[in-house]
Amino acid sequence: MTIATPRHAQDLGISTVHQEQSLVPNLTAVENIFLGRELKTGTSRLIGVLDEKAMRARVLGLAHEFGLSERDVASPVEALGALKQHVVQIIKALAFKTRVLVLDEPTSGLADHERLTLFNYMRQLRERGISLLWVTHRLDELFGLADTITVLRDGKFVASVKPTDQTADSLVRLMVGRSNLEAREQLAQDLPRAGYTGKREEVLRLESISRLPLLHDINLTVSRGEILGIAGIAGAGRTETAMVVLGADQADSGQILLKSQRTRIRSPRDAARKGIAYVPEERKTHAILGGFSIKRNITISDLRRAATAGLILRGGLETASAKSYVTDLGIKTSSVQEKIRNLSGGNQQKVVIARCLFTRPDLIIFDEPTQGIDVGAKADVYRLIYEFVDQGGAAIVISSELPELIRVSDRIAVMREGTIVGQLQSTARDEVATETSELGEHIISLATRAGAGAAA
Amino acid sequence: MSTLRHPSRLLAIDGVAVSIVFLVMLGYFSVASPAFLTGDNIYNTFVESISTVLLAAGLTFVLISGGIDLSIGSTIGLSAAATLFVAMTGASTLMAVLAGLVTGLVIGTINGAFVAGAGVSDFIVTLATLSIGAGLLKVFTGRTQLTGTDNASFLALAEGRILGIPTGVFIAAVVLVVLEVILVKTPFGRAVYATGVNANAAFLAGVSVRRIRFSVFVISGVVAGIGGVLLASHLNSVQPGLGGGYELTAIAGCVVGGVSLAGGRGSIWRAALGAFFLSVLSRGLQLIGVDPLWFSIVTGAAIVAAVAFDRGAQRWLQSSPRPARALKTAADASTAQNAH
Amino acid sequence: MPTSSTHSSAGLRIQSILSKPGSGIVVMLVLFVIVMAVVSPAFVTFGNWQNIANQGVFVLLLALGMTVVLIARGIDLSVGSVMGLSAGVSAYLITQGLIFPLALLAGIACGIFCGLLNALMITKLGLPDFVATLAMLGVARGVLFLWTAGTPFTRYMTPAYSLVGGQTQIAGFVSIPIIISIAACIALSLLLRRSVLGRYLYAVGGNPDAARLSGIPVNRIKTYAYLISGGCAGLAGVILAGRATNVAPTMGTGYEILAITAAIIGGAALTGGQGRMIGAVLGALTITLITNAMNIAGISSEWQQLVTGVILLIAVLLDRLTTYFKHRQRSTEIAAAVSVDPTAKPVQHVMS
Repeated sequence: MTIATPRHAQDLGISTVHQEQSLVPNLTAVENIFLGRELKTGTSRLIGVLDEKAMRARVLGLAHEFGLSERDVASPVEALGALKQHVVQIIKALAFKTRVLVLDEPTSGLADHERLTLFNYMRQLRERGISLLWVTHRLDELFGLADTITVLRDGKFVASVKPTDQTADSLVRLMVGRSNLEAREQLAQDLPRAGYTGKREEVLRLESISRLPLLHDINLTVSRGEILGIAGIAGAGRTETAMVVLGADQADSGQILLKSQRTRIRSPRDAARKGIAYVPEERKTHAILGGFSIKRNITISDLRRAATAGLILRGGLETASAKSYVTDLGIKTSSVQEKIRNLSGGNQQKVVIARCLFTRPDLIIFDEPTQGIDVGAKADVYRLIYEFVDQGGAAIVISSELPELIRVSDRIAVMREGTIVGQLQSTARDEVATETSELGEHIISLATRAGAGAAA
Repeated sequence: MSTLRHPSRLLAIDGVAVSIVFLVMLGYFSVASPAFLTGDNIYNTFVESISTVLLAAGLTFVLISGGIDLSIGSTIGLSAAATLFVAMTGASTLMAVLAGLVTGLVIGTINGAFVAGAGVSDFIVTLATLSIGAGLLKVFTGRTQLTGTDNASFLALAEGRILGIPTGVFIAAVVLVVLEVILVKTPFGRAVYATGVNANAAFLAGVSVRRIRFSVFVISGVVAGIGGVLLASHLNSVQPGLGGGYELTAIAGCVVGGVSLAGGRGSIWRAALGAFFLSVLSRGLQLIGVDPLWFSIVTGAAIVAAVAFDRGAQRWLQSSPRPARALKTAADASTAQNAH
Repeated sequence: MPTSSTHSSAGLRIQSILSKPGSGIVVMLVLFVIVMAVVSPAFVTFGNWQNIANQGVFVLLLALGMTVVLIARGIDLSVGSVMGLSAGVSAYLITQGLIFPLALLAGIACGIFCGLLNALMITKLGLPDFVATLAMLGVARGVLFLWTAGTPFTRYMTPAYSLVGGQTQIAGFVSIPIIISIAACIALSLLLRRSVLGRYLYAVGGNPDAARLSGIPVNRIKTYAYLISGGCAGLAGVILAGRATNVAPTMGTGYEILAITAAIIGGAALTGGQGRMIGAVLGALTITLITNAMNIAGISSEWQQLVTGVILLIAVLLDRLTTYFKHRQRSTEIAAAVSVDPTAKPVQHVMS
């Protein structure tokens, strides 16, 4: 059989929790949960009268279990925070009698205890005979919960295996494939990082930066040749901090010092002139210019450099610079004239990094730089970050993947609820795995407040 | 280039299809009406198309940045009135021209300030300034008869000849070239495209999106002002309803030429070609004896045909088997399924 | 931790009132009526309000349909032309001897048919709403021009038609157009607030992708929105033919701008998902009141277009202010919550 429409899928008992927000912002939680499956009096599909009371009653219990108040349930979802919106999506999938539940990265952005709640629900559903199709990139989650694991690579089926026969490493091997394996192992140990030998000049210092209600009293520094990691759960204020540094948002109070000079950053354009570049978190909506060629995507941040006297663009110069970036960064494409939206996620990310490098920045802020890209491209991104700092650049890396953050960073600042709760020296690049996990546990406890007293 | 794999794919390249249709239409009218290819007719067609071609060209900046400017129709009328009023007071031609340009500049600045400064929807703001401008023109012409001037140098602005070409056409052509250069060859023009393609990404990449949004309305206003000056010189009189509906013809011209209303796609020459196409079509239809009342129907049909064709061509172009597009095609297919 | 205790409770109250959508327009209307009542006694007479109601029904009917389309994230520029064309259809059919009720129905059907064509262009050909309805604006106007051959349709009026057109009052104080408008308003209001279709219209306008993923037939819902708008335009046209007693080729020109203005004043937004029927009523009332006041004040009709534009600008600015106060109120609330309990989290359920 073929499933023609989402509606058809629902009728067959297949519900989906999508990775991206799929809520209608102006409708309430109840309205969203029942969207497309409203309870109504009368039989007509569209003219039927909505039975608001019954819908509300049916969803309240479930909502309470997931920590939504009655007021939350009755407000438009746009007024809820990102996490609550995510919870609404999950309830939306759980609220109905489904035979197959598809969960696409359901735990991204959830706190640990929320993940556990979700996992408990998943177990309950399984016991009730519901099949779960669960898409995730977090291998640790799979063990102990999944019954079978299907590995896909490059849009092709690779293997279907039992978790009991596997280890995380063996799964990774399946995911990466034999040819890429060596690169992956090299990545896990040490990518070539020569180390920066020049002067350790301070590039950026934030002093008591506040922007209520999201940020208060942020103090940070980052120097040449250094990678500062910022850890924290979603909503902790990491991206908001980046927005202040970039000038996209203005701080209410506090100071920004660039190379020890007090400065005000008015806009991202101003930031670019002052040597700050940013690799945005949401690649598709906030980073790439989809209809533009690779070439134009690379030069957009510093068009004056690509133009004679800053006035007339020089196509030849643009093409030549773009080509050199494509070669240096290993961007896989037939031509720099190719539209960026036709590239894979990893190659798009490299183009965005090339755009930053084109402005010759002193500081690049990488916001979730490896989100949604394959393992091979991840290694390339790490390599680019290392090369940048080895040549005297300063980097800030924001990431929700702790192992990645620990591996990449020299120093890690942990954020929680809009402020910095601890700064840790990362030692992981030369150390054994046990120390890495200790550091990871420390970061997690800081980020989730369980061990707030231990802040360094 | 992948687009050249099959010759028929040429049609899908931006602007090729509309050019072909344009040439076919020219051919048809030349055969159907002996009057079509005469010097008089060509002269008139060019002179009369100046207004909409200029409006479409200015509007293109706004459209490419992802906006819309409905006020241009009343801007051109009001600029023409201001120009002619100053010319009739006996002031120098330069002053008259300045009056028209400043009128356009002021309206464009107001639009830009509301849209980029106050963050109000451009559709609503320019709808309001369209209404205000048309109202002002009515009030103004109701009190002052703008019946004409005999200032020869002013009249020569549109009606004189340079190398045998009417001055108005010459000036318009120069304006078009300048606009095209600004759009395609300058960092500003590139930023206009970037704003239309993805304003969020452009902002984070260092484009002053606000400044771009402001500037495109100023450009659109000033170009409408230039159109108003030429129109005043050409007509040498201004009626209360002058410019009414021009905005729709200009938008239609842009759309027919292939400028995307969603932003990020289009160029000056295509907008100009589209607007010129509609002028020629209207003139040709008259010459072969079609009632001019048909014109708005034909324009409507042309808009629908142009956009539908463009979308069809895009879909066709994207149907080439590339793995990266598999997902998108699948999504399109499910959308199409939904429609049934 | 800095707190925002500077806001008095009265200040908060005013902020919260101003943050309600549409509050600005109600305040403006009340002030306007008070000022007019003081300046001109003629304004507050019963006869004048009857006039206002009778004048306002056309903008109101179009604004109702426009609001439905705007909720579904569309826009219908064709309503003015379609209204004129529908007027032409019923007038013509009556002159051809068709019985009166059928002629009226045919006029309304013409409106619905135009709405269907709009919807087909948008959902099947994939034209942007703006372009499709712009084309329809041109086509409907062109057809009326060709059909009337430039001279108005006349001699179709019957006593029944002057009743439908509102030239004759029922019981001396209410006219059929007013009754029809109220009925349309209530029916559409119930449809939007209580029915599944209404819910889907808001969903499609709020987030079309989410609506599609929830199994809502987005294209069909959009089609219904345009059918409703076309139907409203048809209804308005049929009544207008009865009011005007002749159908000129230019009938209904420019009404699309009035309808959009009324809908926007009433709180609908081009971004979709917002708008209510009561808002459309307030919007239509505002436009008609101001036109009426200008007539009473003896301001020449030349100024009216200008004033309409200014009102539209003021309305959108008020809307911006409402949004501003809404955000302000929200951040005040958050600041207050933080100041009460310094350990409270901005995102409560992260911790257990």
